[in-house]
Amino acid sequence: MSTQPLERYGEGYLEERTLVPRWPAPLPQIVNLIVVTALFYATWWIFQDPRGLMRLYTPYVGYNYTRWLLIMLIWMVYIFNYWPFKRVWLETAHPVLKGVVLTGISVALLLLVIKGFFEYLLGNFAIAYFNPDQLAKLDRVTEFFAEEYSALAILMFAAIASWLSPSWVVAMERAPWKNEGQPVQGLTILLITFFLSTIVYFMTMHSHMAILYYPWQEFTGITPPYWETFADTVSGNFHISWIMCCTVVVWLVETIWERYPFKLITHDWTRRLATFFGIIAIAWACHLFLYFAQDLWWGEAVRGTRRDFAPDWRWLHVGEMMIFWLLPALALTFYFNNWPTKLESPIARVVIRTLVTVVGAAVIYWLYYNFSHLVLGTQKGYSHPQQFPMIPTIWYINILLINHWFMDNYPGWKLVPSKAAERAARATAEAKATTQDPGTPAPAE
Amino acid sequence: MSTNKKTETGTPLASRRAFFRGTAAGAAIGLLGMMAGYSHSSLRDKHFPRAQTARKDIGLVRGVKVTNISETSWFENGTLMGDIRGAGGLLVNQYTYNWAPFSTKGGKLASGSYEDGIRPIKSLIPGNLEKAWDYQMENAVHPENAGGFAALVEIETMEGETKRILLDSGWSYDWMDKAFQREGIDRMLANHEIDMLVLSHEHFDHFWGLPVTYKYDPTIETHIPEGFYKEGLQYIADSGHRGKLVTHAAGLHQIMPGVASYTFPVPIICRVYGEQSLYVNVAGAGLVSITGCCHQGIIQFAETALKEVAFEKFHGLYGGLHISPFDDWDPKYDDLVYALKEYGFEKVGCNHCTGEVTARKFVAAGYPVVRGSARNGSKTDVYLGNGDTIEFRAA
Repeated sequence: MSTQPLERYGEGYLEERTLVPRWPAPLPQIVNLIVVTALFYATWWIFQDPRGLMRLYTPYVGYNYTRWLLIMLIWMVYIFNYWPFKRVWLETAHPVLKGVVLTGISVALLLLVIKGFFEYLLGNFAIAYFNPDQLAKLDRVTEFFAEEYSALAILMFAAIASWLSPSWVVAMERAPWKNEGQPVQGLTILLITFFLSTIVYFMTMHSHMAILYYPWQEFTGITPPYWETFADTVSGNFHISWIMCCTVVVWLVETIWERYPFKLITHDWTRRLATFFGIIAIAWACHLFLYFAQDLWWGEAVRGTRRDFAPDWRWLHVGEMMIFWLLPALALTFYFNNWPTKLESPIARVVIRTLVTVVGAAVIYWLYYNFSHLVLGTQKGYSHPQQFPMIPTIWYINILLINHWFMDNYPGWKLVPSKAAERAARATAEAKATTQDPGTPAPAE
Repeated sequence: MSTNKKTETGTPLASRRAFFRGTAAGAAIGLLGMMAGYSHSSLRDKHFPRAQTARKDIGLVRGVKVTNISETSWFENGTLMGDIRGAGGLLVNQYTYNWAPFSTKGGKLASGSYEDGIRPIKSLIPGNLEKAWDYQMENAVHPENAGGFAALVEIETMEGETKRILLDSGWSYDWMDKAFQREGIDRMLANHEIDMLVLSHEHFDHFWGLPVTYKYDPTIETHIPEGFYKEGLQYIADSGHRGKLVTHAAGLHQIMPGVASYTFPVPIICRVYGEQSLYVNVAGAGLVSITGCCHQGIIQFAETALKEVAFEKFHGLYGGLHISPFDDWDPKYDDLVYALKEYGFEKVGCNHCTGEVTARKFVAAGYPVVRGSARNGSKTDVYLGNGDTIEFRAA
């Protein structure tokens, strides 16, 4: 019987790691926000900016990569617990090395998923609209819009998965595969959430895609779609709205709400189901209310019009407002230790954080619509087919997640090696020694 | 550690806390639910009273006739979109494409600028457009794909006079000059028979052919919407304009009795901002909407009229309606096709950036689309094509 310690990979790593600020507050916070913003801007210029190098903000091509990078980060950290990287490496490797290696892998995986799974496999052997080359064969569809339509279909999968994948961890608590080791647990959750994403995709976005082509592909998708009367549009943006709300609410529950109020439920499966469907209920409340709020602010939407008054844009803008809320919520959790933490009352903590982050979201909203066209090269104004604040905001969130999940908040913080890491390092050293002396037993954990 | 301490009254502390937490959580979720329910109940309607706003009386005209000088802004969608894609997408600054007439020597896609592009032709415009365009044919990116949009709007006033507005000036110097000569615009300009040039917006296909207008009448009063970038303003000067330049801020501006322009501060692709369109109030017929590209959306334009202009009913539409200019599609365009019938337009002449798919959907939906002759470069008869006319007046 082996006496080697059971490899945990990154299970519990984020909760158990001890991050110590290198300098007194608020220096680490300031330094990290400057570093993350600089990284954001540099990478934005290289990859996305319409004035920059690669100019992927077309917008859907860049949006597609942005969305899938987010999903890869979530899969690697939340679903696979950093597997196959061993705990000792996570705890001892330099943060920059970890950032480069893990981000590199996430990019390689996203290319494999987009180019290999969607464009090649599904696009060539199942549904033409996943492959730009297949779409370009259609009469009137230019190469540009073939790429855009294809990217839109693929990124919608990511949008749905970015709600369902973390939901299975945050709400369903990985059940019923919680006690499985990696990679069994990760693969199982990946398959179930991908399966659910596929169902949601076909019920929310497939009709939207079917309407894109003239004449409507009415024998392959239900057109006009079932939401037309309620949503006042045939556009799938109606669904993007509530799906984005779900995505953001999952992370609000996980971070600034400390999983309240659902954690008060003691029965495991009741709590899990209440959290899963509670997130959807809260998201739908935001979805409906924020649409109404726009009607109050700008005037009632008018079906068929464009820009600020178009119902389809108003639904999309609900998602955009929500994503503005996510950014300060994550920054508060990652760099401000989820302030305030000293208040005994969880209600007070949750209310204060909610108010602080809503104000933060309003500030980001104002900054974005006043300066993004100058700073990021995006479209000027609120509503436009090329105006997608979700792209830079999620791009920024991706950098935040890389810094927090992969780089242990480097450079503002440093990771204090845990006793387990020390023991594991010692065990590795001793195991190496054992290879030279096969008669020596491996150290017990 | 036990958390089940008791208070002085004997109530378990943990259960009391749990009760308050549960109550607070329930209240918060209930509040959210109420917000959501209220948002989509009939109660919301009281927030949107149907109050009559003060609608401006812009006066009346007897009739209006529109001659389509050119609606063919470019000849191949694939070529145009290939350039846009190669340059980095729809938000790239139009002056950097190295498209004609702002090409540098041996111009490469997306590496130009206004300053570098105007230099070789500055001394040639507006007097020697042939040479200026020859230079573009040798150096620009796909100069053969450039056409342009322009229309002549002839107003018959209530007094029986004819007032003329040139709406936009196209793109290619060569294409537009020939189109002007074909429709007699060159002579009208030279004789000062056209009262003003109204530039709908700064886009290449409506604006970059400006020297063709100024070649024949450099003093013509020129109206632009607020939002032109510094390159666009400089181009007006560099094109040899010596007349009055009027900039319309966002909102309604009467430009003659019965005719008003409305400027919409809308963002537009290729780094353009703001567009103006025309309302013409025809006695006994109703309001006619005349647009260059209508980036604000035709329903937005109609809704704005309902709020701000006094008129009897909607009558006609002419112009690019900017729905599927590249024959791209989006489900929201179908929302437009559905919703437009609510406004009761009686005569529709559409072309240019309306998109052929849209025009066909209009016909299929039963809209009174006036068909064209599909000549002079126009590709389809569902468009009111180059050289075709449409007239709006009481029956």
